[in-house]
Amino acid sequence: MKKLIENRTLLAFIGVAVVFLLGSSMIPGFASLFSIRAMLILAALLAIASLGQTLVMILGGIDLSIPFIIGFANVVFAQLYGDGMPVFLAFAIVLGLAAAIGAFSGAVSSALGVHPLILTLGVGTIAQAIVQLWTKGLPSGSAPQFINDFVSLGGSAGPLPVPWVVPSTLILCLAVLFVLQRTTYGRRLYALGSNPKAAELALVRPVAMWTITFAISAVFAALAGILLLGFTGSSSAGVGAPYLFQTISAVVIGGTALIGGRGGFIGTVAGAIVLVQLRTLLIGVGLSESMVQAALGVLIIALVAAYGRDAHIRNLI
Amino acid sequence: MSSLPASRSLRGALAARPGLGLALALFVVLLAANLALNPVRFLPDNWGAVLGLAAPRLLAALAVTVPFLAGRGSIDISVGPLMGLINVVIVQYLITGAGITSPWLVVPAAIGLGLLSGALNGFLAAILRIQPIVATLGTYLLYSGLALTILPSPAGTIPPWMTLLSGPLSFVPVGMAILAWLALKRLPYYELLMATGSDDRAAFTAGVNVPMVRFFAYVLAGLFASLAALSLTSLIGSGDPNIGPGYTLIAIAAAALGGVSLAGGVGGLAAALIGAADIFLLQNVLSTFNVSTFVLQMTYGIVLVLAVCLNSDRLKTMLKHRPGRA
Repeated sequence: MKKLIENRTLLAFIGVAVVFLLGSSMIPGFASLFSIRAMLILAALLAIASLGQTLVMILGGIDLSIPFIIGFANVVFAQLYGDGMPVFLAFAIVLGLAAAIGAFSGAVSSALGVHPLILTLGVGTIAQAIVQLWTKGLPSGSAPQFINDFVSLGGSAGPLPVPWVVPSTLILCLAVLFVLQRTTYGRRLYALGSNPKAAELALVRPVAMWTITFAISAVFAALAGILLLGFTGSSSAGVGAPYLFQTISAVVIGGTALIGGRGGFIGTVAGAIVLVQLRTLLIGVGLSESMVQAALGVLIIALVAAYGRDAHIRNLI
Repeated sequence: MSSLPASRSLRGALAARPGLGLALALFVVLLAANLALNPVRFLPDNWGAVLGLAAPRLLAALAVTVPFLAGRGSIDISVGPLMGLINVVIVQYLITGAGITSPWLVVPAAIGLGLLSGALNGFLAAILRIQPIVATLGTYLLYSGLALTILPSPAGTIPPWMTLLSGPLSFVPVGMAILAWLALKRLPYYELLMATGSDDRAAFTAGVNVPMVRFFAYVLAGLFASLAALSLTSLIGSGDPNIGPGYTLIAIAAAALGGVSLAGGVGGLAAALIGAADIFLLQNVLSTFNVSTFVLQMTYGIVLVLAVCLNSDRLKTMLKHRPGRA
């Protein structure tokens, strides 16, 4: 039993099952193919956006620039592609710029000892403002067809009745698992997150790790922004706004601790699914959008209170 | 320790308040710029109105500062939505619904609501030990959702005395907050709070009830948020569920700009107020140039990033120990 409590990833998946059973017993159509497919797509997009947040939180940081980077990528990619730039060049430019922005946040935050919460907030605000100035607040353009198909509600991946974004997220999940468990980068990430001083003595370079990890975070946020362009059809700099708190919630529900050194991406995926299911469930029982928000707040607190509590100060000495 | 006593005391004063020097310098420059660009607005007759305009963010900055002082990730991001919730409850339930307009009922109701919500945050974050950013994210969603449910779109009016709180009487909410802070500083609690924020393990070993100290930090945040809500209500003159949440990020930025450390134990009233005043004056200067909101947003981001970088202790150490001098 104790081991079960400690396995937060497993708990998050039990959460997925419980919410699914609740949903399908309370709401007709919750378990229909259409509804499951929609939830999986939304959860996949959220999971991709939360990948970086997971890594950054394992490191003991936090990335508030994710919604701004999502908006940045969403608008810039649409604009570049709309102006007739080849897709892959637009891709490379957007992801490259995002990586540079993330790397800057990580490097400065770590080298100068500035709290990442403030720094990413400031950097994100600047990035979004520059994009808005560039497009004069009226973004245009759209996504190429293959991106639309990649996330389309009616799409299918070979024999599977879900669009490619869902199996791709699963593969991404395995890739991240491999990187975290089997590479030196993963070892260093956990080492630095659980004990920065000891990790530095073991020759882990904190500035390099923070730079790389925040760059990865921004790249996946940008990827989510481009995919959202395919999902919603038109670009908007504010499209990332809900993702500020959703990524943090997904990561925390998935069992990654904000103090660092613990957690993983599989839990985050479960956390993303739980969040999307809960939203669907709450809307399904007839709550208004604002009541859904209030109820989600209470549920996040309840979930984290059940298995994500911090240690008492007396146990930290 | 070979420096002269005079320079040591100066250094000591600056070391006790790192970051405040920079925020203060920025304040002086921005105030001068404001006075030069728009002298009429800053005539003594308009001081009340200017303070009323700045008051919500001054008080919100003070509210987020107190949990920051308590350290180990203590943060209250629900301050903005709480301001919105109190605004909506006062206007919709008290003034419009029950017809209660007496300041002797409205003000205590607002403060009571602030204290109660602060206690809820404190219970979740300090006693139940949910990571503070998650606990207050939960209440952020709860308060903003409730505000939108109570009043889905802006509506309502406020009694005449309340309008004065953003004009000639705007010093009242700010003054109340300053008095509350000065009183707090005379209590042993203040020392316990700073000790907890600087090194919670040492404080706990010395017998400080660390969870209770943190609990009351959130209660105080609720208190200052309720005063901010009164200023906000007076300023907008109605109930508006959408305007509150935006104050959280402004307030956190203001506190950081003023030199409040997110790691705890560093900062206070002056840091929060000057940081918030900096942002207010900056926006004022820019708006006299009629720049777009995007330029405003960008400048605000740049100032924030530059300020926290220049405030960094590590940068100062690096500059002090340049290679060749080490």
